[in-house]
Amino acid sequence: MSGALSGIRVADFSWFGAGPIAGGFLAHHGAEVIRVESATHLDGLRTTQPVPPGKEGPNVSGYYNNFNANKLSLTINMNHPQAKDVALKLISKCDVVMENYTPRVFEKWGLTYEAMCEVKPDIIFARLAMQGFSGPHRDFLGFGAVLTPLAGITHLSGYPDRVPIGLGTNYPDYVINPTHVAIAITAALRHRRRTGEGQLVELAQLESTSASIGVALLDYIANGTVQTRRGNHDDAAAPHNAYPCAGEDRWCVIAVQSDEEWAAFCEVAGHPDWAEDQRFADFAGRKANEDALDGLVAEWTRTMEAPEIMSKLQAAGVPAGVVHTAQDVLENDVHMRERGYYVYLDHPEAGHNAYDGSAARLSKTPGVVSRPAPLLGENTWQVATEIIGLSADEVAELAAASVLE
Amino acid sequence: MTSAAYDDIRILDLTTELGHYAGKVLADLGADVIRVEPPGGCDTRSMGPYWHNTPDPEKSLTFLYFNTNKRSVSLDLESAAGQEALKALVATAHVVIESFPVGYLASLGLGYEQLATVKPDLIFTSITGFGQWGPHAHFKAPDIVGVAMSGVMTLAGFPDAPPYRPVDHHGYFNAGVQAALATLMAIHHWDETGEGQSIDVSMQEALSLDQETAMQFYDMQKVVRARVGERKILPGVGTYEASDGYIYSMVGVPGFGAPWSELARWMSEDPESEEVPPELLEFLAKLNLREMTSAAQDLQKMAEMAKKFEITDRLLVAFYKRYPKQFLYEEGQRRRLLIGPVNTPEDVVNSKQLKAREWFQEVTHGGEALLYPGAPYRLAESPWAIRRRPPMLGEHNAEILGGELGLSEAQINEACGSVGVRA
Repeated sequence: MSGALSGIRVADFSWFGAGPIAGGFLAHHGAEVIRVESATHLDGLRTTQPVPPGKEGPNVSGYYNNFNANKLSLTINMNHPQAKDVALKLISKCDVVMENYTPRVFEKWGLTYEAMCEVKPDIIFARLAMQGFSGPHRDFLGFGAVLTPLAGITHLSGYPDRVPIGLGTNYPDYVINPTHVAIAITAALRHRRRTGEGQLVELAQLESTSASIGVALLDYIANGTVQTRRGNHDDAAAPHNAYPCAGEDRWCVIAVQSDEEWAAFCEVAGHPDWAEDQRFADFAGRKANEDALDGLVAEWTRTMEAPEIMSKLQAAGVPAGVVHTAQDVLENDVHMRERGYYVYLDHPEAGHNAYDGSAARLSKTPGVVSRPAPLLGENTWQVATEIIGLSADEVAELAAASVLE
Repeated sequence: MTSAAYDDIRILDLTTELGHYAGKVLADLGADVIRVEPPGGCDTRSMGPYWHNTPDPEKSLTFLYFNTNKRSVSLDLESAAGQEALKALVATAHVVIESFPVGYLASLGLGYEQLATVKPDLIFTSITGFGQWGPHAHFKAPDIVGVAMSGVMTLAGFPDAPPYRPVDHHGYFNAGVQAALATLMAIHHWDETGEGQSIDVSMQEALSLDQETAMQFYDMQKVVRARVGERKILPGVGTYEASDGYIYSMVGVPGFGAPWSELARWMSEDPESEEVPPELLEFLAKLNLREMTSAAQDLQKMAEMAKKFEITDRLLVAFYKRYPKQFLYEEGQRRRLLIGPVNTPEDVVNSKQLKAREWFQEVTHGGEALLYPGAPYRLAESPWAIRRRPPMLGEHNAEILGGELGLSEAQINEACGSVGVRA
């Protein structure tokens, strides 16, 4: 058995980030995940940068491909009157259905939970929504770019005296929300195993993301304290920041958490005078004089390369790390290379590309990323005949009627 | 009838802050999670903020948030009695989750191989900064080191200032949530085959996907994505000041909500705002990212656009600044404009949407109630729920070690160090 979820089949109608990434986690661990897509309504990521130089079309985006390894692609034009029937036939052969459209789309297509239960009584139907399927903001538009500020992440990240601009990405889309989705689906599979029942699973991304700042929310509820962003400073360590290093825009983080680490740090930095400076004698002093300390540390780090600072400090037992760029994680980080986290796969159109591997390494059922993302509709024929069980004539008829596009 | 999907599963949670979300996920889905703490209490008990702002190991909000539904046993794992008690507990459990430095538990005779002799089908989840093996496996990895080394931090911030990490300790959160998923998948495999296994979760790897497209940009184009600060690709896209805080506005990106013409209409309907010149309205009606990208080839056209951008942004800055962020959010959304408030924790707690959906859950602590943040997902038949308040240190020593394992009071006192049997 190659994956923990071998034998599970998923019809994944979701698109963009959080839904397909959740399906990706399941696919890395052996589930057969079928992306249900349409050329008439392309997943926006299929046409989003980056693409390899000189290539274009719906199959070459690194954004899309990275999240869709190991999956199959079936195209159905869901707005075609005959589409619902094909979709339900597919669903009748699946364990899980996923979707992340705005709340009314699936109802419009006639793909209600009740309709699914008629063809597959124990179906697990996982629905992602920005705000959830009830409440005054139910129909509000949302993407990760707006969710990050809405759920409090943006306010809490960055510098207190600067505009809150967030993290430079649609941050909750990539790990927090998709992982919560995959957890909910896996839990529903276990409930089904124990009771024979399927169920409706709802993930409101506002709720899933807000759960990640639970302590800040409790601090307001319990104490009336409104936490705010504070750069790289931390309650439990000082110095604790990103410091400039030799080279262009190179940085190294350092976190000194104890008196022992402080003594070791001063020694590595060649500054016994700092160790003797009464202002920095204990944690309270270092914290109170944090800004002055940051200035001194930066004077030292500026003279050295970031990897050298990291190695020397770590060897002395002081937490430190290079602020890696993507080039670093792919090429320069000996540790990531040795662990083989990134997997290189050959895609027929996009070429030889890196894919994120599985962050969950299970000893007996290691997740694998072995097949590149599917071309749009690459598996339509295979899924329609082998999984849905349509005859060649039926598939040809549906194709001629523009249902399967 | 609803039930809990994991109420037959026992988890021993030996984690530090790095791993504590993993056990919460399982506990909130119904598993019997026993928090095994050192006699002095686990690390988060001595972390602020505290309830009522008074330092107290039972009032750390970090501890409380991440330990709902768990029971607590205190064990001195560095003593022979504590080690024996842990092994006896492992024999009754299905899963161990831990986040000690690599090799620490093995050095006590409590690593995966050693515990698997007690419980051959054990699932053993380890969460560390860099994983169980590799050149950096022994690196010290508080949160900021993990996020820096993952490639996530380099994307966040202003070009004129150091890159910054995400909201506090999110490296830990990303690692914990992925460890929870891995553990559930291992339980699925155990259900199928009866086989246990060990799981290796690295915070650095768990964060990798949060780089968004940076990895692929470098892989495909050798372009290194960096932090870009406040750069606005066009007026209407970016963070703007409201009268009482900030909003994020994303208007003019095709496929993402109503077009710029709708925002221009709103601005020109506003009696308080400076009039939008008619020729600018005409320009704004067609303003979108795609137009702009195609114009980028034509230098003269770009120069003209830059002038119009400047006027537009000045008008828009003044317009947004006149109104409170929640008004801009709700009225903007009514017009299908993609606008979101930059919510503070106070705003999230007071969110009309979360209130209407009864997201927050009341938990009673010795007669005093506290509202807790709620479910990340809603399963209709096997729901997330807070069934039990977070435990006091060693609260269940007698119940579990005495009642279940049959240890005498003297044996419990020996295994539990100073805590012993609580009154």
